[in-house]
Amino acid sequence: MVRRARIGLHLALAVWMGLGFSPAGAENSGTQPKFDDITARAGIKIRHHTRTYSGKNGDVLRMFTSGGAAVAVGDYDNDGYDDLFMTDSEVGKPNHLFHNNGDLTFTDVAEQAGVAGGNDPSSIVSDAIWFDYDNDGLPDLLVARFGTPILYHNEGHGKFRDVTAGSGLTRFGNTIAVIAFDFDNDGYLDLLFGNYFQPVNLLSLKDPHVLPNNLDGATNGGGVTLWRNTGHGSFQDVTKKAGLGKITGWTLDVGHGDFNNNGLQDIYVACDFGTDHVFLNNGDGTFREVTEKATGWDTKKGMNVDVADYNNDGLLDIYVTNIYDDYMKECAMLWQNLGDGTFVDVSSDVGVCDTGWGWAAKFADFDNDGWQDLFVVNGLRSAGSDNYLPVLLPMLTTPGIDFSDVNNWPDIGDRSWSGYQRKRFFHNQGNATFQEIGATVGVNNDRDGRGIAIIDIDNDGRLDIVQTNANQAPILYHNVSGNVGNWVELKLMGTKSNRDGIGARVQLQAGGLTQIRELDGGNGYAGQSMHRVHFGIGASNKIDALRIRWPSGRVEIFDVPINTFTSVQEGSGIVK
Amino acid sequence: MRKLKSVLLVMIAATTVSMASPAADANFRDAMSAVQANDLGKAMHCLELAIADDPENVRYASEYRQVAIRSKDFDRSIDYFSKLVANHPRSANLHLNYGFAYVDKIPAAGSITQVILANNALGEFTKAVEIYPNWIALYTRGASYLFWPKIFNKAPLGVADLEKALALQKRGPTKPYYVRTYIALGDGYCKTEQMERAKEIWKEGLSKFPNDSRLKDRLALHGDQLVTLIENNFDPNKRVDTDLREIWLDARE
Repeated sequence: MVRRARIGLHLALAVWMGLGFSPAGAENSGTQPKFDDITARAGIKIRHHTRTYSGKNGDVLRMFTSGGAAVAVGDYDNDGYDDLFMTDSEVGKPNHLFHNNGDLTFTDVAEQAGVAGGNDPSSIVSDAIWFDYDNDGLPDLLVARFGTPILYHNEGHGKFRDVTAGSGLTRFGNTIAVIAFDFDNDGYLDLLFGNYFQPVNLLSLKDPHVLPNNLDGATNGGGVTLWRNTGHGSFQDVTKKAGLGKITGWTLDVGHGDFNNNGLQDIYVACDFGTDHVFLNNGDGTFREVTEKATGWDTKKGMNVDVADYNNDGLLDIYVTNIYDDYMKECAMLWQNLGDGTFVDVSSDVGVCDTGWGWAAKFADFDNDGWQDLFVVNGLRSAGSDNYLPVLLPMLTTPGIDFSDVNNWPDIGDRSWSGYQRKRFFHNQGNATFQEIGATVGVNNDRDGRGIAIIDIDNDGRLDIVQTNANQAPILYHNVSGNVGNWVELKLMGTKSNRDGIGARVQLQAGGLTQIRELDGGNGYAGQSMHRVHFGIGASNKIDALRIRWPSGRVEIFDVPINTFTSVQEGSGIVK
Repeated sequence: MRKLKSVLLVMIAATTVSMASPAADANFRDAMSAVQANDLGKAMHCLELAIADDPENVRYASEYRQVAIRSKDFDRSIDYFSKLVANHPRSANLHLNYGFAYVDKIPAAGSITQVILANNALGEFTKAVEIYPNWIALYTRGASYLFWPKIFNKAPLGVADLEKALALQKRGPTKPYYVRTYIALGDGYCKTEQMERAKEIWKEGLSKFPNDSRLKDRLALHGDQLVTLIENNFDPNKRVDTDLREIWLDARE
């Protein structure tokens, strides 16, 4: 309600800011990206399987847990080529670690690396991230589950060791999203888990009241869990101490970023069936909720959080997908940061409202023109020709019905529900608007998308896309755009800061544009993008300035070469 | 019989002015004074008293809901009508306003709640039609069907109601608000993929209401532009005008 009350004023201000900070002549040059589906050619011949359940409620539970198709990008062997970890969810089905061979092909090495497991009879793999929790320079792997998570330590030489038992990460939860970031700036990456259901084991259901108690304002979800990295190979649950213990929503995604430019990482929590939450970091190990002032409360179905400065005004904005279809008009939300502690939703005005049944969304500059585009995947369930909604309606409108009781929900059977939806590619026009060109650029597939990861598989400065799909095969889109702009790509290595450099703010000036990027630790539903900072700089053949603010607070200014991949170490500058 | 129904419609509307009890009328005047003073709580209280005294008064109930919209006290309005229809189950006017009270809350609700509210409203509109199938009941229910997403296939039901409403209104003198039927029926034809019939009914409407911009806009557009114009009118996040002022103003004239 608060949001609606001030939207008029804020919208005018937002549009003014969006236009005002875009220098004349710096608009999109008219280039468009182009992608090829090279999945099979690349050797990625797998498909995801959603978990099946036994018993009379099995069909409904499967419908409610039809995620789990995740991808995480990381260079686990530090060979300069980013690799892929991709999850499955069915019992006994392996996860996959695709080693990048450097020639646009991949080899699944999960079994020999020791990271294929996780889908046991009492656990469902749901998400994964790479993060170097012990700062040894080797990316470690966290596999999130409906169950207990698995922490794999990277031993080097392509081998991993399950260190969960000694890590403290042994508590059961129905985790659907996880990000790594250093919330207390102590140099070690912490973990924020987004939990969908409360911590009950759905695979051995004892009480049927496990579903949302309200479909627009549910209060019986799993909330979030914040684990602080002790720096000694273990984690402590500091959720309540940090002020995050009161979230009771059905968290589907969590995202972090420095929303108020004070050097501290803040949090956005996207919840299904009810309001999202915004928390600012107090800098003392705690957060304060500012939702009411920042965005207002909402009743939507928050599915994804990605954070980026879409209009190059120096402030991080937030994109949240919701459900927008013929029967439900919940626009996605593009929260434009006004810099005064408030955000205004400009999704309709800039053209990124209609995503279908949205899942992951990721900003990236795919044509290197200096403006970040937006790729969104969608679709819940593509099955038979019958639609689930007419079957669902009588239940929804039954007076006094208890939505939380799984017995009250009709089976979906072979019916579709918001299926066969075309993916959206919103091309940033550089004038505070986007144009949807998914068909033109070749990414408008109709699979049941879940996760997105941005990757540069061949280090050519043109960003590629991995799309995961529920119960279907993933897609690897190779960026084959011609006539793209010049680019800068950085690998950050913290020393006093966390080794991954997550949370580092990079500001680049070139061609009359000032852009910022902040390296995130897994923002976006079911997908972690590469640990590199990428800038497109259009026709500029040099950069004017590049400034890094490390999480430690150290600020460094560099000159870096363009059109090549550069490693930068905190305190040492360019290292190769 | 048909003529009698049309007369009754006018009589219902006319009660807003001529048949109010003195107590109800006094409460209504107090309510309007409270509205002027922006004391919406008092206004709602006084209107509740007025409606309780005169449940068939279209104006009292309509004004009450408009105050509820201003004060965002939708649940109070719903609760009030819920209790009142329990005491007056044969009052078409109360069922109609009870349905409108649900409709009034829709833009302020979440998307799933919107479906529930719309379904509840439809139930009340149906009761109103069953009790007294006059123009306003048929028009209201017919129009409400058109808000439902295509997958639920309710638009044909809306067209059927609106055709009956149109037939009723043609039997008596033209009222300014009758233009709504032409607009909605054309929209219904559009939603049921009968574009030619849509154009015909809008043209017929324009011949009777030559200055209506809504009809002109529809007749001026084609294809996707026309569909977009129509669909925008059925966005559940936009407030539907449920103010029945036109009816009692017409009755007073």
